[in-house]
Amino acid sequence: MNSQFWDPEIETMPGKQLEKLQVERLKKTIELAMNSSFYAPKFKELGITPDCIKTVDDIHRLPFTTKQDLRDNYPFGLASVPLEKVVRVHSSSGTTGKPTVILHSQKDIDQWADTMARSMYCIGLRNTDVIQNTSGYGMFTGGLGIQYAAERLGAMSIPAGAGNSLRHLKFIEDFGTTALHCIPSYATRLAAVMKENGVDPRDTKIHTLIIGAEPHSEAQRKRIEELWGAKAYNNFGMSEMCGPGVAIECQEQNGMHIWEDNYIVEILNPDTLENVPDGELGELVLTTLNREAMPLFRYRTHDLTRFLPSDCPCGRTHKRLDRFQGRSDDMMIVKGVNIYPIQIEKVLMQYPELASDYLITLETIEDNDEMLIEVELANATDDFAALQNLSKSISRRLKDEILLTPNVKLVGKGVIPQSDGKAVRVKDLRHNH
Amino acid sequence: MNTIKQLSIFLENRLGTLQKVLEALQQQNIEIQAVSVADTSDYGILRLITSDQFKAEQLLKHNGILANINEVFAIKIDSNTGAFSKAVNCLTEKGIEIKYLYTFSLQNKLVLIVRVDKLEAAEAVLTASGLELVKGWE
Repeated sequence: MNSQFWDPEIETMPGKQLEKLQVERLKKTIELAMNSSFYAPKFKELGITPDCIKTVDDIHRLPFTTKQDLRDNYPFGLASVPLEKVVRVHSSSGTTGKPTVILHSQKDIDQWADTMARSMYCIGLRNTDVIQNTSGYGMFTGGLGIQYAAERLGAMSIPAGAGNSLRHLKFIEDFGTTALHCIPSYATRLAAVMKENGVDPRDTKIHTLIIGAEPHSEAQRKRIEELWGAKAYNNFGMSEMCGPGVAIECQEQNGMHIWEDNYIVEILNPDTLENVPDGELGELVLTTLNREAMPLFRYRTHDLTRFLPSDCPCGRTHKRLDRFQGRSDDMMIVKGVNIYPIQIEKVLMQYPELASDYLITLETIEDNDEMLIEVELANATDDFAALQNLSKSISRRLKDEILLTPNVKLVGKGVIPQSDGKAVRVKDLRHNH
Repeated sequence: MNTIKQLSIFLENRLGTLQKVLEALQQQNIEIQAVSVADTSDYGILRLITSDQFKAEQLLKHNGILANINEVFAIKIDSNTGAFSKAVNCLTEKGIEIKYLYTFSLQNKLVLIVRVDKLEAAEAVLTASGLELVKGWE
């Protein structure tokens, strides 16, 4: 049952003791960050030193950090250690705007692997399991993050990577895969491909799916579990905090335990930036406690969630987060990729053939997220080929920027709906939204 | 220039978009003399020769319809088999590509509306060929 822990002392640590640990680690992290050219002047101005921190509540004295701060200090401006201590760089998507860069020391990598291994153990995975990863390997943390954790756990890891469903199917059958890491939409997509090829996912050895990086509903989870005849656990991570391994559901499947030995967790009103009453919806704000190359203080995730009340029967003392209820900014998550409308707008504005209005529509088609972009033409032309090449070119340039290929549709004037005179930029018609 | 003006209109594939164009032209008594459509599943380009291209363009733009004017050749030929071939051949043998063409009949003759890639070269070739170029009618 749920009586086993990867790290019993940490996972079941009583609240008071956990807070003490957080205070200790926060002090250490502040000391480290005083080496960062980004935080040092801020701390100086606010008079912050490690000694200012007496209780976890003193976190309120610290400044916020935003994604824009990461962009403004691209690439290494937030380093808190000399660069020779950095052993790996991960980065967000994007080729036109500045990407966000996250630095890892060897200790950060080890810590990350250990925490994600803890998350795997928490959902019942052991060193006897065969864990197949469908995330892309590369700058995206879902590849290597899961890889190192599976190895730390001692499982047999299958670094199959993104795409090529038939190859995934072959590995699942030939290697006797027991656990799959994927985004929820791919879990349904892969199941469909398997069925088309005469394999019922329920007949495979897969008993567990780790699903994350994409918001999904309880109904969608149930459907995935039904399709696979397996348990599906919601896993939360973000590259700024390390990658996958920040929070995970336990086998109770009722909220994600966020690992408080590694993070101070705040839920704030996104407008006032004050704490919301316990249990109410607000923006998740995280402070790293166990990272040295690039610690972040009060990082605004823009994910909306709430704390679930009361203790979890599994025995873990770390607080639980509810399913994410959306965003406090305009970020979209499509096929596990984080996309801002501004990225799309920047590409569209490069084309003199286009007027300024556009509409992004997100739809679920055959269990897949699809993005349709309707763009207004500036002028008519008699040249048919030019129009066809134009949509192709836009589609290609967008693929470079947002890493997925949208359908681009050219429209005339007045087709894009306006509300209160302001253009509506995004319409999300997906089943789970 | 021995060309005529053609009006190109961008139309989404939606019910009523063509009707909107036709009504606007009709209200101002603009006559349509020739029509051609190129279409995809999303949109079409409606190419028109009308009795007053500039008025038509202004009118459509005023109605929020994307329209523009460009130059095409109108070649009047006899409706026999050899004439069509001769007209096309005199362009292609000089390496001038035809982007598209369409036809309509006028006083027992056939008018070819031809859009080419090299406008000036085509003009020289066509003028020298002795083919009858229409510069406007009525």
